[in-house]
Amino acid sequence: MLETEMSETVMSETGPLLRVRDLHAEIGDPRAPVHALRGVSFDILRGEAVGFVGESGSGKSVTARAVMRLAPEGAKVRLRGSVDFAGRDLLQLDESEMLDIRGRRIAMVFQDPMTSLNPVMTVGAQIDDIIRRHMNLSAREARARSVELLGLVGIQDPARRADDYPHQFSGGMRQRVLIAIAISCDPDLLIADEPTTALDVTVQAQILRLLLRLRDERGMSLMLITHDFGVVAGMVETVNVMYRGRIVETGRVDAVFAAPAHDYTRRLLAATPRLHRSGQAA
Amino acid sequence: MKRVILTRLAWTLGILLGVSFVAFVLMRALPGDFAIAATGAQSVAPEVLEGIRRQLGLDRPLIEQYVIWLGKALTGDFGVSFVTRQPVAGTVFDRFIVTFQLALIAAIMSIVMGSITGLASARLRGATDWIVRMVNGVMLAVPNYIVATLIVLLVGLYFPQFAILGYTPFLSDPVGNIAGLLLPALALSLAVSVTVSENIRAAVLEVANQDFVMVARAKGLRRGAVLRDYLIRNALTPVVTATGLKVAALLGGSILVETIFAIPGMGQYLYESINSRDYPVIQAIILLTAAIVVLVNMLVDIAYARIDARVRL
Repeated sequence: MLETEMSETVMSETGPLLRVRDLHAEIGDPRAPVHALRGVSFDILRGEAVGFVGESGSGKSVTARAVMRLAPEGAKVRLRGSVDFAGRDLLQLDESEMLDIRGRRIAMVFQDPMTSLNPVMTVGAQIDDIIRRHMNLSAREARARSVELLGLVGIQDPARRADDYPHQFSGGMRQRVLIAIAISCDPDLLIADEPTTALDVTVQAQILRLLLRLRDERGMSLMLITHDFGVVAGMVETVNVMYRGRIVETGRVDAVFAAPAHDYTRRLLAATPRLHRSGQAA
Repeated sequence: MKRVILTRLAWTLGILLGVSFVAFVLMRALPGDFAIAATGAQSVAPEVLEGIRRQLGLDRPLIEQYVIWLGKALTGDFGVSFVTRQPVAGTVFDRFIVTFQLALIAAIMSIVMGSITGLASARLRGATDWIVRMVNGVMLAVPNYIVATLIVLLVGLYFPQFAILGYTPFLSDPVGNIAGLLLPALALSLAVSVTVSENIRAAVLEVANQDFVMVARAKGLRRGAVLRDYLIRNALTPVVTATGLKVAALLGGSILVETIFAIPGMGQYLYESINSRDYPVIQAIILLTAAIVVLVNMLVDIAYARIDARVRL
């Protein structure tokens, strides 16, 4: 098992790794903004896996990006509230301080593996660059680590495959590469934004199992965003149900499933297609 | 890849054959011929004109003339200029060197100017974008001979100490040679830099919205690294294509700019030769220009495959 190095600040901190309070996000023209988040508050403990469920446009992805202070190119996003990560409010940091957090302390796996890799760089080079950015390693050492990571996420013959380009990998394999990129610098928090939505059902299960295994081995916290209750069920301890920019229900995943308190949660659960009447969520 | 290049070269021969035939026919379809152009007057006796034509073989059927020309060209003999009586290959080559220098400097200028303005336009947006696009629009709309004339006028008026016109051979004075080519190269490069600039702008804007750029930013990579490895490298393919075509055109020589700056390049030579109906020279220049276009296109395709591993040659 690989050792997880935690920095001193994290060791000395107690309480949740991530504490988000009253987070608001406004997108676009200040005169007629879209209120994507309307006061979101939640905690993620060290090593905890937390699910965020909700329909499209409910604010799950905006929440994830707000934590990383990332916005799509050209989008004007204004954030209010606080995002305390290991004792620091990320919303108060300047961009250069955020650069040291992104990829190093908080990493992200995105929805569509087909478009998330740079088509003109080898996959090895795309892991090397994040490693060399955050760790003081030579090119050779970084590549050795990249190859090790590719092996860890289940790429066969990783030393040779590191020199291949993204188009030579299947969708599932590309998502494994993206996971290798995300965990490359031993982040404290891994955000997975709909990591299996673009994948075949059989591959989905593999990717979810991989994420769970990595979280257990490395003691990372996991923020899993999905519109699919079935994905959340076996994966996380706590679930937050989001609707229209708010968290409408939060609790232990089994409790929420057994007795959804909020009407929207009940409707969302009812909307999940099931193969058997009992369902996997029961 | 080797096989592809060889196939391409074989194709090139076919293209050159076609181009040479079309050029041959079109030149002779022009009113007047060398005999009239050389004697310059209608008052010359028809027998004299006939004599000149017979001597040069211009009295024979067109196809026969072409086959004779082709037979010699295949052995590397492009004939003798009607005007100077010098072998065409040598004089055209001398002129091509001049044009090549000019095109090289103009290409470097356009790529530098176009990359800077295009990148600034796409990354900074706002006022910068607005200004760059407006200037680009104006530069694209103004033909290069007007730019050239304005440069000659303004520099001549305000900096009379600079020699603007003429050409200094590289071997006799390398610094003077390059300095003398800067202004004509500038006149040529403005419009080309617009092509580069607009293509880079469009490509970078498109790439900037790709998911992999968001991934790169989520890695915590610095702006410079994201720009270089993610934005520019992906934006390069369309830019290389458009730039390659423009550079090929530059290599063909510019009749107007070379004439305005009195530079003895290939464009100017082509202009003179058309006026004097110096068929062998025209034929050689057109052939060379066609060969350059095909060659540059091949280089662009090779560059393509180098930039993007998905492209298989």
